[in-house]
Amino acid sequence: MAAVAGQILAGVLLVLIAGSLAAWALLRPWRSWRQRQERSLFEHALKHLFTREHGGEDATVDSVGDAVGISLNKRQGLVTRMADAGLLRSAAEGLHLTVEGRQYALHVIRAHRLWERYLADDANVPMGDLHRAAHRAEHRLTPDEVAALDAHLGYPPTDPHGDPIPRATGECAALAGMSLTDWPIDKPACIVHIEDEPEVVFRQILAQGLRPGQSVRVLERTPHRMILTDGVEEYRLAPQAAAQLQVAAPPQGEPLDTHGLVRLSDLPDGREAEVIAIDEQYRGLGRRRLLDFGLTQGARVCPELRGIFRDPRAFRIRGSLVSLRSEQASRVWVRPIDESQQAA
Amino acid sequence: MTDSRPPVTSEQVLARADELQRKLGERFRDQLVESLYTEAQRIAGRAVRISESSWASLDRRIDRVVTSRVLGLPIMLFMLAAVFWLTIVGSNVPSAFLAGLLMEEGGLSGWLSEYLGVEQAPAILSMSLYEVLHWLFAVVHMPSWLTGLLVDGVYLGLGWVVSVMLPPMAIFFPIWTILEDLGYLPRVAFNLDFLFKRAGAHGKQALTMAMGFGCNAAGVISCRVIDSPRERLIAILTNNFMICNGRFPTIIMLATIFVGAAFPPALMSIAAAGTVMAVVLLGVLFTLVVSYALSRTVLRGEQSAFALELPPYRRPAILRILRTSLIDRTLFVLMRAMATAAPAGAVIWILGNIDVAGKSLALHAVDLLGPLGYVMGLDGVILLAYVIAIPANEIVVPTMIMVYLGAGRMTDVESFSQLRTLLVDQHGWTLLTAVNLMLFSLLHNPCGTTIWTIFRETGSRKWTIFGALMPVAIGVVVTSLVAAVVRLFF
Amino acid sequence: MSRSRRHSLAVLRGRRRLDVEDHRAMTTANNNEASVRQVVSQLGIDVSRYDHVLALAGNPNTGKSTVFNALTGLRQHTGNWPGKTVTRAEGGFEHQGRRYKLVDLPGTYSLLSASQDEEIARDFLLFGRPDCTIVVVDATILERNLNLVFQVMEITTKVVVCVNLMDEARRKGLSVDVGRLSEDLGVPVVAAAARRGEGLTQLLDAVADVVSGAVQPMPRCPEPPPELREAIDELLPLLETLAPGVPNARWLAYRLLEGDHNVRQALLANRLPGVVAEQARQVQRASRKIALEGAQ
Repeated sequence: MAAVAGQILAGVLLVLIAGSLAAWALLRPWRSWRQRQERSLFEHALKHLFTREHGGEDATVDSVGDAVGISLNKRQGLVTRMADAGLLRSAAEGLHLTVEGRQYALHVIRAHRLWERYLADDANVPMGDLHRAAHRAEHRLTPDEVAALDAHLGYPPTDPHGDPIPRATGECAALAGMSLTDWPIDKPACIVHIEDEPEVVFRQILAQGLRPGQSVRVLERTPHRMILTDGVEEYRLAPQAAAQLQVAAPPQGEPLDTHGLVRLSDLPDGREAEVIAIDEQYRGLGRRRLLDFGLTQGARVCPELRGIFRDPRAFRIRGSLVSLRSEQASRVWVRPIDESQQAA
Repeated sequence: MTDSRPPVTSEQVLARADELQRKLGERFRDQLVESLYTEAQRIAGRAVRISESSWASLDRRIDRVVTSRVLGLPIMLFMLAAVFWLTIVGSNVPSAFLAGLLMEEGGLSGWLSEYLGVEQAPAILSMSLYEVLHWLFAVVHMPSWLTGLLVDGVYLGLGWVVSVMLPPMAIFFPIWTILEDLGYLPRVAFNLDFLFKRAGAHGKQALTMAMGFGCNAAGVISCRVIDSPRERLIAILTNNFMICNGRFPTIIMLATIFVGAAFPPALMSIAAAGTVMAVVLLGVLFTLVVSYALSRTVLRGEQSAFALELPPYRRPAILRILRTSLIDRTLFVLMRAMATAAPAGAVIWILGNIDVAGKSLALHAVDLLGPLGYVMGLDGVILLAYVIAIPANEIVVPTMIMVYLGAGRMTDVESFSQLRTLLVDQHGWTLLTAVNLMLFSLLHNPCGTTIWTIFRETGSRKWTIFGALMPVAIGVVVTSLVAAVVRLFF
Repeated sequence: MSRSRRHSLAVLRGRRRLDVEDHRAMTTANNNEASVRQVVSQLGIDVSRYDHVLALAGNPNTGKSTVFNALTGLRQHTGNWPGKTVTRAEGGFEHQGRRYKLVDLPGTYSLLSASQDEEIARDFLLFGRPDCTIVVVDATILERNLNLVFQVMEITTKVVVCVNLMDEARRKGLSVDVGRLSEDLGVPVVAAAARRGEGLTQLLDAVADVVSGAVQPMPRCPEPPPELREAIDELLPLLETLAPGVPNARWLAYRLLEGDHNVRQALLANRLPGVVAEQARQVQRASRKIALEGAQ
């Protein structure tokens, strides 16, 4: 009898141990998933609070809920949990970030913008996809990783949209610009920022070919549309889209006068030319590669070959033959050298 | 260094550096490079004298031809086909010689009569090393299981790999190295860049693919020439679609037995080379399609800068090439193949000779894999061979033959015609089996070394698993589709 | 080459975590072709016994690997396409009774960018502190190649320039005035055609002179742009107080302005003084004294 009882006991024990192990194994990922969800909710809410505060507005439980996208009955709970965590304070007029909350918010924004910069410069992710990818990455990056990323990128002052990237110390430069809708006609301007929400309009703006850093002029403004030019192309924008562009006076120095210049991609085969400049917007590794091959101001360049599909072309640059795709070659402005001069 | 601590801290210096950096902005790098080049131009101008103006005119003329719209592509395909043809034609005789020397019954007598017309071979040549080993083992009264394991398992595995792999590699590698030394490969990358651009990949991927012909692991390493992480990952993941040297013999064998045999003897080698070409081009097609799919889905992004220098043509140093490519590349790959073939030979012998419930272990495994094999137009033996060959692709064919022969020996197969008899008449191979096996040897998991290399290069378990499973998944789907279509219509 | 007896040393790091610079990118560097030779050549040869460490830098396609092979007697595969040497190879040789270890850096067009190759090359020059750096340049496109020479000279003064492919230059009707070049650059310049073995003995002699201190190169680098120069001048004294006597402080200052993570880490971990102090020790241990082992 005793032996049987012992066996039953052992069996029960075994089942219990196995069961609790299984439960632990199953619950662990569930719990960490829950934690990640919570973290991402917190961080979205913090970003919202920070932006509101930066813009001089007060955030409310409902504005937070809308920004984060959770249902009405969960909103209060989120705000309470965040207040318990010491990230925000409720006041009569609305919600305020605590010092800790503001720091946290800055970290998230910093991670987001740096990640966008990284994706744009190093990974060549298209502008339209940056925001969504960074939205996911911002919750994963630790402050140390963000610092390393910052260093790796060489401490960029702005993200690809033109938004200032907060420093590790918590300073955040103010955005120096005004809405394009208020910019005087015909005055040279530089696009400093393109708002990426709402995304549909953002993608439309990008599809037209407008980019931060571009020099533009307003040609015409009516209640229905706005016409811009960068000297080559004309861009038509709806007022709603124009409101998403922030512009400022162009940085020191004249914008490049492209009169008499051609893009390297348009230079006919065998025609020698002098390099004038590389597009200011062409940054990151691509620009450095061009520089490394000696495509600096004043260098002589001559297209020599085309691939069998016509596209990459090979250019003689400082004695060596370098092949470039048309996208890259089009970023280089050159001045063709007169045939007569060339002969001499 | 015993004095008091420094008056400034690292943090302070860094903070100051940060400030200065912000102040400098981005322009200064341009200016720096500009200043370097201005000086370089000045100094080079003083030091270099040009006496004649025949500056590289030959290079230019060659470049015009190899990149011309009309001739560019044909030249490229012709070069590739020529390499394969030379490899196939050149390796027949030495392969047969090695097989005779190492494995066949009757030693070299068969080879002598076939290629030299010598009917009465000297006695000393009429015994292969395999027979000598058997005789030696018998003399010292080794237990039969040990003789089986060592001679019929390990030794035969090695013998196969050496006789099947060594000759093609010893021909392929030097030719390939000559092309590399010549400076032709960058022109190929230049010509094909347009396709890679369309596929969202980097033009230098063509270079890494060329390396993959030799060895996929080397191909994966060479992906470091691509700067952009996104495009490098694409190149790494798709490198396996290039037929490496370990897989060439399989394709060559199948091409010779099933395609070449259908042609008159004079055209046999050309037909075989054409088949190999077709498989290789299919691999290129898969590379482009998969690159396209990746860059439109999980690895979205624009193409990054493609700045490739086209070096001047250089006369290859033939002697040095022979030495480097034969000794380093060929022997290296062969050694690796042998290192996996020896234990694999033993494993196959064990699987084939240990019976459980009336059947050998190998047959149990074959039965298990049989249904999947049928769906894919292959059979259980082939799949088993691919499972055993995960460490190295080279041993697929020997494994298959060993298992087919049941007793775990493969000396009865002396030539391609006998191989054909074994496969077609005894084991029901059809043209479908051959085609699907060629497809599957193109589209299956990378070998163990390559998988490990992918892990080292990407540092990501996720991408390694993806890189290992994606090709085999494509392989299963493609072969199943082909099999289904063929069975439906023929 | 008659005076120098060649022997093979361990070729690549990776499996054998030897000594030098443990950078993430480099630990991944392992070449399959080479590892067999590594095993073979390790037999009976003590890898750590050499007197001097040399680095071999250069643009891709300058015949750098040919120079490497000619000096070490190794058969690192060379190919005529840019970026062939994607891993770093090491070999050794003996010249005039001294043992040298030669480290073949990846071929790069520049040291200023952020690509992996350039990082490997840059960090080795900066933290590996070779006793002499040979920069191989292509005689037929000297102008493009000098860009890298200047950048190397900014990091280290112990530079010997090897103008390779002289045979090809002759075929193309070019002649290079080596004496003039040496005068303008301020470092020894040797003409060579490594494929034919021309000029290698002179190269080794020049290297030996620089290593022993018989010749002290005085590199002449172009003036940086004024804003950059001001910034560097401001950082320089700070760095020198932090790490007295650090030899390439200018370059470190420049890299700080570029936001070089490795330099920052070395600075934060206070390893710059360590690098300097270590250098004062025996030359045999030259290549063991690298910082950065924990960088990431």
